[in-house]
Amino acid sequence: MTLPLPRRPSEEFPTSNSKTNGLPRLSPSPSIIHKRSISNSATSIRRLEDRVAGLTLSKTRKCKSQYPRDSSERHVEYILVASFHIDRGPIMEHQYPAPISGDESMLAELMLPDQTHVRSQDWTIFFLHKDSSADQEDDDSVIGKKKKKKKLGGSHNGDDIDDSGEDLDESSKEESSDEEEGGEGPPLMYVLNLVNTKQDLTVKRGAVVKAMAICTRHSFLHIYKPLLLLALEDYFKNPYPETLASLYNAVNSMDLSLMPKLSLLERQILQASNCKDMFLEKFEQMIRQRMAEDGESYEVESPPSPKKTTSRHALPRDTHEFESKIVYNEIPIPVKVPTVIWPEVVGDFSLIKLIQTFSVHHNTSPQPFPIHPHLTTSGPYTHPIIILINAMLTQKRVVFLGHNRPSGEVAEAVLAACALASGGILRGFTRHAFPYTDLTKIDDLLKVPGFIAGVTNPTFANHPEWWDVLCDLPTGRMKISTHIEPAPITEGLLYFQQQAAMNHIHASNLNSDPTGDNLFMEDVQRSIANRYGENAIRAKWRSYILKFARVASVFEETVYGASNLYIIGPNEELSPESPSGVQADPLDPTTLRGHGYVWPDELAKQRELMASVSRIEGWRTTRSYYSFIQDIAGMYYPARPIVKPDLHHHHDRLRALKLSSADAGAIYVAFSHAIKDYAGICLLLTVTPENQAGLFYLSMGLFHPDLTVREATVDLLERISRHTAGQHFWNQLNRFSKLAFFRVKRGRDAQSPIAAGPEMSFSEPQSLVGVAMGDGLRSS
Amino acid sequence: MGGQVSKLMGKIFGTKEMRILMLGLDAAGKTTILYKLKLTNQEVTTIPTVGFNVESVTYKNVKFNVWDVGGQDKIRPLWRHYYSGTQGLIFVVDSSDTARLEEARSELHKIINDREMKDALLLVFANKQDVSGHMSPEDVTNALQLNKLKDKLWYVAPSVATEGTGIFEGLAWLSNNVKTQPQK
Repeated sequence: MTLPLPRRPSEEFPTSNSKTNGLPRLSPSPSIIHKRSISNSATSIRRLEDRVAGLTLSKTRKCKSQYPRDSSERHVEYILVASFHIDRGPIMEHQYPAPISGDESMLAELMLPDQTHVRSQDWTIFFLHKDSSADQEDDDSVIGKKKKKKKLGGSHNGDDIDDSGEDLDESSKEESSDEEEGGEGPPLMYVLNLVNTKQDLTVKRGAVVKAMAICTRHSFLHIYKPLLLLALEDYFKNPYPETLASLYNAVNSMDLSLMPKLSLLERQILQASNCKDMFLEKFEQMIRQRMAEDGESYEVESPPSPKKTTSRHALPRDTHEFESKIVYNEIPIPVKVPTVIWPEVVGDFSLIKLIQTFSVHHNTSPQPFPIHPHLTTSGPYTHPIIILINAMLTQKRVVFLGHNRPSGEVAEAVLAACALASGGILRGFTRHAFPYTDLTKIDDLLKVPGFIAGVTNPTFANHPEWWDVLCDLPTGRMKISTHIEPAPITEGLLYFQQQAAMNHIHASNLNSDPTGDNLFMEDVQRSIANRYGENAIRAKWRSYILKFARVASVFEETVYGASNLYIIGPNEELSPESPSGVQADPLDPTTLRGHGYVWPDELAKQRELMASVSRIEGWRTTRSYYSFIQDIAGMYYPARPIVKPDLHHHHDRLRALKLSSADAGAIYVAFSHAIKDYAGICLLLTVTPENQAGLFYLSMGLFHPDLTVREATVDLLERISRHTAGQHFWNQLNRFSKLAFFRVKRGRDAQSPIAAGPEMSFSEPQSLVGVAMGDGLRSS
Repeated sequence: MGGQVSKLMGKIFGTKEMRILMLGLDAAGKTTILYKLKLTNQEVTTIPTVGFNVESVTYKNVKFNVWDVGGQDKIRPLWRHYYSGTQGLIFVVDSSDTARLEEARSELHKIINDREMKDALLLVFANKQDVSGHMSPEDVTNALQLNKLKDKLWYVAPSVATEGTGIFEGLAWLSNNVKTQPQK
């Protein structure tokens, strides 16, 4: 039995309240998309689907929750307390609800960071890898029993979970862990830790140092900070397991069940958008479903107005985050949980802070780096952030050192670096990251290839054999180790050296910034200076990484004849020489050929590939490369509802090239033919983000000399304007384009009066400019 | 004031720089010595060191970068990571804790037998000379079996860290005996 997933929506155009993608999820942890069909889990999932369907009276497709009420997955799995014993060093004091598997003393050391005695308070973050070995099974069964016990205790809302539910939970957990981590192993356990040092003259040697930690599978662990502050304070007064228990119960009773689950494409759109009410309809639907389940007044035909629903369940003010609360010791603490969770994005770091830290000194007094082909891609004065990203992409060992800084600060830098290199696209960084570590773990750390570690102990600076790149936070300088392994000579390198030898002029070109990285860093820093905000900067990095991956794909096709990073669509040819924009089948406009990244001309392409050859070749042997190939096959490609034409490629051609009107027309017609349904429009919207001019380039089709192209564009834009997410893009389109839209539409309606419908409620007033333009175009 | 003058002298004659590692059993007084050096004439109260402290102290035209590493037995295996580049070892002994002097001896010999420490000077502070029942510097020398050491420059200085007695004499010995060129 197979489940074709993600679900391709049916041909009819769905309205806002009749769509959902994906299966019910029981795991509260973030996921990308269900991609596989395991007979066992699939049947049990079906069973649940039926059960869920039985609950709702609505005929519309149910909107699934990211964190369903009846899930037995806990938000927080363990609470730990450790202290510094004056004779024995760090020791574990209590663990709730059960001892966590693994080395207890190692955990206690991590919870009591170096130099914590000079600070009254410090935060750390670290990750635990739970082994999937035999003792893991034992461990799981213990947890399973605990869960059952808790259920009897009545602290959980799930009233109808039977044994089959338990099985289902196990299988779906396995499945979700696979997809989250790119098959690299079970999901990480994230640990948020707070340590307090209290001077106390009544105790031996004058101070008490205690730390409390929360272990969770949620990557948004920062929401628990205020809880830890309160609970650790309580623990100093009541150092008993009961204090841990009350925190455990409080955090686990947090209700996130009204947060809708979005598909991969929907998440990409939401993330790239600044609209505060993008996909608000889904939140509305969740509330309506809940009210129906609870037997509250609800009419199937006329949905209640938002005002009515606010009575009990408030709609979010900003759909990018979900507001909930945690009641601890009768104090309600508001929390905000991000709606969209990307892989490799953990905690509440700041890319802006990281970029600024390593830009200040580089801008005022740059220091040359020793040349390493993987790292110094723009010569000795490569921007340190580019050095960092190159180091992470080519899997170098990176250490962030913050002497005399709180360990929370180095941890944040590590998390930011992971997000920087991942862009939410590539994976395999957080799994090998050690946001805070110390000397006690050095031997284990050195066994990990390409780790990213945060430390506060300056002795790391004296051991260049331990790292490849050292990022010193207090001075804002980066160092490339004298012990770094030289980059190997590869096939791609030789290929481009030959190319360079053949056309020597191109190699020693006037262009001093062939990778475009200098320009990119300037743009990023300008955006920071102009207060664009963290989200805008993250979006820029996301597109940087996306571009890197697309360039790498073209590189592979150029050098090796085929790429692991692109799944060739039907009618498509591998040869990079095959011209873009040719229709394979003259009768089918969607068979437009061409794929991949678009350069303005061949010279620019050769120059950029040549400049990037080392780091791409360096990347091609790394974990993030291999898991990206897996993700393309298992996640990104199946999530694409339209495989021909390559929307991204052809939209880039519209944007970057000066196309003949015939070529441009072919693209508009192909798009209009290919993009018909809900998911198709979602895919289109992911390649036309607001910060890259939105629908502007598409709307240019309204001014095309050929009437069929203009009308095809009208059809497409009309579909977009009725799309849940597309309406926001339509609203942002400039007035000039909108006028052209209505003019073309009116022109067509006048010719075929049957098709003319009064349903266009937003008809614009007649514009002389528009008419004049239209006439001009028509006569030309 | 003294600090100011030696800074000035440093500008004229060039300052020597010396990396010092300070080790010893827990509660021997390492952190107190460090902060007594750093904050002359001030009352110093310390709590157990989690991990390490590092401070630079300039004395007699020599800039000492002193690393003070926590002494609990569980974290002693980490000491070796601080060895490379160390020019002087300060080993602090609680002279009144006669029961643990054998333990101190064994730790000290482990350190100075390490290849990376073979050129380092050894200064032993026989600390807590004010506590009743303390051993004399000579007794400490014998208990630590320092006379057995070959090819090693060593010195035992009696001290009372809480009062600051003896610690600058110890530093003076270090600065007089350091031969190596300033380290970058």
